[in-house]
Amino acid sequence: MPFKNIGGEKMQQIKKGWGRWVLIFLVLGYMGFLILAPITALVKGAFENGLMPVLRVITSPVFLQSLALSLKIAIIVVILQIFFGTSIAWVIVRQEFVGKPLLNGLIDIPFSISPVVVGYMLLMMFGRNGYLFPIMEKLGIKVAFAVPGMFLATLFVSLPFMIREMIPVIKNLDRKQEFAAQTLGASQWKVFWRVIFPQIKHGMIYGLTLTLARALGEFGAVLVIGGGVQGRTETTTLYIFRCLDERRYIEAYTASIFLGSFSVLIVFLADWFKRRQIRQHRNDNGFVG
Amino acid sequence: MKSFWKLTFLLTIIFSMAACSGGETSQTGDEIKLILGAYTTPREAYGEIIPLFQEYWHEKTGQQVVFEESYLGSGAQSRAVIDGFEADVVALSLEADVTRIQEAGLITHDWKASETGGIVTTSIVAFAVRSGNPENIQDWIDLTRSGVEILTPNPSTSGGAMWNVLGAYGAALRGQIDGVPADDPEAARTFLKQVLANVTVMDKAARDSILNFEKGIGDLAITYENEVLVGRQSGQDYELVIPSSTILIENPLAVVDASVDKHGTREVAEAFVEFLFTPQAQEVFSQHGLRVVNSDIAAATVDQYPIVEDLFTIENFGGWQSVMEDIFGESGVYTRAILEVQGGE
Amino acid sequence: MESKLELPVLRRSSKGHGQGWLLRLPGILYLTLMIVVPLLVIIQDGLREGIAELIHQITLPIARHAILLTLWTSALMTIINAVMGLMTAFVLVRFEFPGKRVLNAIVDLPLAIPTLVTGVMLVMLYGPQETLGNFLANQIGFEVIFAPPGIVISLLFISFPFVVRNIQPVLQELDRTQELAASTLGAGSWKTFWKIVFPALILPLTSGSLMSFSRAIGEFGAVVIVAGNIPLKTQTAAVYTLGAVESENRLGASAVSLLLTSIAFLILITANAIQKYRGRKNAAD
Repeated sequence: MPFKNIGGEKMQQIKKGWGRWVLIFLVLGYMGFLILAPITALVKGAFENGLMPVLRVITSPVFLQSLALSLKIAIIVVILQIFFGTSIAWVIVRQEFVGKPLLNGLIDIPFSISPVVVGYMLLMMFGRNGYLFPIMEKLGIKVAFAVPGMFLATLFVSLPFMIREMIPVIKNLDRKQEFAAQTLGASQWKVFWRVIFPQIKHGMIYGLTLTLARALGEFGAVLVIGGGVQGRTETTTLYIFRCLDERRYIEAYTASIFLGSFSVLIVFLADWFKRRQIRQHRNDNGFVG
Repeated sequence: MKSFWKLTFLLTIIFSMAACSGGETSQTGDEIKLILGAYTTPREAYGEIIPLFQEYWHEKTGQQVVFEESYLGSGAQSRAVIDGFEADVVALSLEADVTRIQEAGLITHDWKASETGGIVTTSIVAFAVRSGNPENIQDWIDLTRSGVEILTPNPSTSGGAMWNVLGAYGAALRGQIDGVPADDPEAARTFLKQVLANVTVMDKAARDSILNFEKGIGDLAITYENEVLVGRQSGQDYELVIPSSTILIENPLAVVDASVDKHGTREVAEAFVEFLFTPQAQEVFSQHGLRVVNSDIAAATVDQYPIVEDLFTIENFGGWQSVMEDIFGESGVYTRAILEVQGGE
Repeated sequence: MESKLELPVLRRSSKGHGQGWLLRLPGILYLTLMIVVPLLVIIQDGLREGIAELIHQITLPIARHAILLTLWTSALMTIINAVMGLMTAFVLVRFEFPGKRVLNAIVDLPLAIPTLVTGVMLVMLYGPQETLGNFLANQIGFEVIFAPPGIVISLLFISFPFVVRNIQPVLQELDRTQELAASTLGAGSWKTFWKIVFPALILPLTSGSLMSFSRAIGEFGAVVIVAGNIPLKTQTAAVYTLGAVESENRLGASAVSLLLTSIAFLILITANAIQKYRGRKNAAD
């Protein structure tokens, strides 16, 4: 805290001492009530009958199968979003063209559109009466009530995360290095890998983990387009939903905790990476650009 | 740092390969896949019957049947099949939902040709009340008492909800409710409105409705008798109340021709449907709270499933076709009643 | 289709002139395929019976109530979120206290937790059979689950990070000499905050709040579990849409979706414009 060196600050701190603690406790209380209390309730519910049932759930084939499907969809989505997210962010930061504000607005659409509607849109395109159904039928690809449809739905809902994370990162790039490298005759490929990539990789990791977390947690859209068929289109969120329906609460709570902590863990890891970069470069950015 | 990126790259490749290889298994000689699309209530029963059938089929043909099951509200399930969910067999709550699939051209055979008219199980509309019945709910008339909070699912997605509406309206029409004259549609509609006015939660499907009741919402849930019995089996302490006059719920079952022809699963699908009518399977249904169509088993379990004083069926309303129009149609009895109830608040 | 698009993307090191389209084209194509086409499908579907029918669909009593419920619960959430988010960001940036790092990390939790899980958790906490829920309902008469408060709480949960994370960086970079000058001249800390700090935070606060609002009106996973789904009482627009999709009323589904999407789009464009204005102002400073 650099301002501590400035004279008079200490006086100030003491004077507003109580107000400061009131604020801190208000925020602690709010976050405790809003975020921590529900999480505690969930954990308590899952471990109601001890550790064994929980272990049994996370090693059960049905749960693992759903997790495998969730991961499979999420990972392909993440890979695509890395390429497209980064390149779209690059285009938005570095290029000027007609319709850029519109493009900028479009990117956030998936963020606010209801997942149910996303599933519904896909159903209208790929369902039996959908516009694209005949083409897909000819190609022999099943989209609705199959994994490809769920993949498209997840791709849609997770679209903004990578782009929004990369925009400030690319904005903050040090362009002098790029020019220097180019002047020295480095190929574009080399400039990218040697100069640009090292600067954006932490932002990329953070963006991809947010995308991964969002993809793993998707529920409404994959429910509508996938139908939640056991053993075929059942992701972990749909498995949780089914367990709730079948009164298998321990399984539902355990799977919820597992999925939640998995996502939290990867986001925290990425946060840690990002912090390291901030410490290195001192260039700061928030989550939404 | 370099090794980290190498590792990431490697993991990416491994996962992509795993993702690509996880394609659909074909219908090989020793394994066959059967897709079941069902409504939400009988899922526990199917959970037990399916292994029995797998064993039966394996003994008979040497083939292993792999089941893929989906449970949605009956109406939602029926529309999912029309939208492209390729279920080989549909087990739904009510005939109209099967008819819808038939009208879409996906069921081409006469699925009602069997002895029971395609009906595999039955149940009745009943009430789940809190342990000890603190509100003293005995019959339909108690549902109109002010302050009684009722749960029933939403007829736009749930078949069970339609049965519930028909149960209340039918009992009133038949003059089985004090103060409501028989054969007076207007009086019966007013009664239905009074019941609907007490509804506090309308869920997507019958199962959601009873689950919310279990979470402490409301004083009673109108639902399938078997939902209450299955809930009690799972340790819930609410009680079943059977009204003196109620409707017989008939659950149909059909092979979806378009799907089985595409998958080459007609033989096993038809065998499965047949199997569900065997005493063995009917027994399991019966253990899970359903009234069965097999007369021997029905006779053996008569203590468990008391005979209703005044039991009526869908035929009393002139069949599903007229019900869908006169009651659930755009200006149907229910549609107008719910709008009036809600408009009046 | 994607694999064909990947090749040119790898040439991203183009300087933005001449070869810029090599990078721009696949990106725009991707967005068009992924977002514009589905949107067009839904617009076409919503308008297939004409604009009058569309208006009719969204003014039907049940649909109208669902839309209004969604809007007012989201608005209420946005106000609470703005106040508490501002306070949280302030505490996290300006104060030192034990556990601050943990608290800062917790802010991101709602982004990682699946919304369905959020709904499950809230029912476990506030459900009428749970200790807290029972206490609130019977002692205070405050019902949370299957009532609008449950909707607001679940929306607060999912959108908590947006305001905090939007304000934090701005607050961090704020030039503190003005504040110190003000307090040296005898201004109280409240006055300093309102006159000096708050004006600088108005823009990020507004854009963060707008983001959380537009996120909230589409929320489904948490709300479907927490709200009671009863038409004209606790059914939100997203849940109404699901019901409409699953029943014969597909036009209603398209109409309501279209309205919500348009509102969200307008709000997002406003939020973007605010961001842009902020960027320009910063550049000018």
